[in-house]
Amino acid sequence: MPTELEASGDSGLATRVAVAPLAADELQAVPAAPGGHEPGPPPATQAGRVRRRRVSSEKNRPLWMLIPGGALMVIIVVVPLLLGIYMSMLDLDQYSLRKWVNAPFIGVGNFVEALTATPLLRAVWLSVSYSLVAMLITLPLGIGAAVATQNAFKGRALVRSVFLIPYVLPTFVVATVWRTMFQPGGIVDNALSGIGISGGLWLNGPNSYWTLIIVQIWASWPFVYLLALSGLQSVDHEVHEASALDGALWWNKLRYVVFPYLKGPLSLAFLIGMLHHINNFTLPFVLFGLPAPIDVDVLPMLTYVTSFQSFRFGLSAAMAFVSLVLVAIPLFVYLRAVKLDDAETPGGRK
Amino acid sequence: MSTSTSNRPDPGILRPGSRRQHEVTRLLPTPMIVSIVAVLGAVVLLPMLYIFLASINTDISVAQGDFWPAEVTLANYTKIWTSVGLANGLMNSVIVAGSTAVVSAALSVATAYVLVRYTFRGRLTILRGLLALQSIPGTLMLLPVFVLFSSAATYLGVHIIGTQWGLFLTYLTFAMPFSTWVMVTYLRGLPRELEEAARIDGAGSLGILFRIVLPLSWPGIVVSGIFAFLLGWNDVLFASVMTRPESQTAAVALQVFGSSAEGGAIPFYGQMMASALVCAAPVVILYLVFQRYLVGGLTAGGVK
Repeated sequence: MPTELEASGDSGLATRVAVAPLAADELQAVPAAPGGHEPGPPPATQAGRVRRRRVSSEKNRPLWMLIPGGALMVIIVVVPLLLGIYMSMLDLDQYSLRKWVNAPFIGVGNFVEALTATPLLRAVWLSVSYSLVAMLITLPLGIGAAVATQNAFKGRALVRSVFLIPYVLPTFVVATVWRTMFQPGGIVDNALSGIGISGGLWLNGPNSYWTLIIVQIWASWPFVYLLALSGLQSVDHEVHEASALDGALWWNKLRYVVFPYLKGPLSLAFLIGMLHHINNFTLPFVLFGLPAPIDVDVLPMLTYVTSFQSFRFGLSAAMAFVSLVLVAIPLFVYLRAVKLDDAETPGGRK
Repeated sequence: MSTSTSNRPDPGILRPGSRRQHEVTRLLPTPMIVSIVAVLGAVVLLPMLYIFLASINTDISVAQGDFWPAEVTLANYTKIWTSVGLANGLMNSVIVAGSTAVVSAALSVATAYVLVRYTFRGRLTILRGLLALQSIPGTLMLLPVFVLFSSAATYLGVHIIGTQWGLFLTYLTFAMPFSTWVMVTYLRGLPRELEEAARIDGAGSLGILFRIVLPLSWPGIVVSGIFAFLLGWNDVLFASVMTRPESQTAAVALQVFGSSAEGGAIPFYGQMMASALVCAAPVVILYLVFQRYLVGGLTAGGVK
């Protein structure tokens, strides 16, 4: 990109200054000067002044601006994280919590108890399976919605806004509303009996698992829709033209031409969606209340109840640690997949 | 500087007029589009309509599963302010979420500016951390943060639990990663040339931030502030543990009302639905007003 700028025919000063910080920013090890890119011979004094200014600006990087945010992160994230791991090895209940420093250290005792004497493994299974089922159903819904609203039609803006509403609504609102609708004899039962189905209990018993999935789907399919839309927008125009020339049927065009473009965004939607679902506490908490039916006793609920209902804080910290491990798997894949540095920006055409 | 701007290819030239290309880019036959839009639209709008109808309905009628109100009443909307404690709750929510939004936006601009425009050791680690922190389970942090804050009361004499400060600090911290990431993606899109020009004119880093970057990036700032606001507005987990009745946020007030109203005869469904609408209204309005920017921000965490 230095050559591109020099080719613009600008003389000496402006070009150099515009280029230098770009190059410096792009490289990890900051070189003193972009050796090979010296433009023609600018007046010596000017070049000297420019170089001095650039070096000083590198020395004066305002890294202190990171301090407020960084301090917050350390105090409210890193310290509690370490504290949580330490607490998972303490025998901590409502009596020892006040002086938690003096609580007896029991090593992996909490983990052993969590695995053997609590429904932890069941909770993990419920969390993962419900997240996965909800995710697998939201995918086609989101893709369908994106494909249907990709081409312009009258009222499309309105439709797009409407599609986003469930995602926009606060989770506690969604849960409160569906809790009312799923009441025994409520609107859902009424509607179902209208078509000859008796649904049974929705907020208790085995059906509650599916209630959770249904509401989660209702609330989160627009996220898949958003990412699928962004994928559709990246389809090159030439591709459309080529498939039109080939006379491809709409189904074949979708299947073989358009869907490959969605693979990346949808994988991300899948990972982020799984993370959100597994971490979702508000939805089961407000939808079912405490104590939760055992069929929706997902990991966040179990961890919360163990802390703030049973007051087994050490045990709960051990469960929370398990949830961290669980989340770490999709998170790791996600972090590997995502591009941290936008390759285009530093110095690229922009 | 001006020459380098004119050097860029004009995106308008590359992209053919969309109207002429309509048939070529068409993905689905019209009947399919109509049916998908109709079904999904109904799936979204019927519950929304039901909330509204139930909120002007009597509790008995809602409990019977009526869709249309037996009799229309606005009493629910006058009762909720005291019965649910929504007046108090909304005020607390606005204070906590609002201050979170302002401070988080300010901090994330500064952080993102350094991350985007300067190179230093650990920069990539911080960027990676920003993404990772968005996915940390809230239930993992709840207990340690709670213990940390109560220790502050025990050892330092600073009472945080039960006040709005505890929620503010927590929300601020958990909003920062996403807000910063939104700002990072936004600032990357800003042309550097203006900043370089200002640097030539002798502006320092702070001067550039305040006189060049801030005025140019207000859409990004608004978006990152809104996301921080929503985090505070929507949270139930931390607010359910760290508040007292007088510092309760609207979310907790509604949750408590919903679960406590169930012991008796017929729960106050009408009031619950009215409160749900009132709590959802500010969020929906924010989205509709800033939709264009917010949608970009929503996908920013994933796509870029």
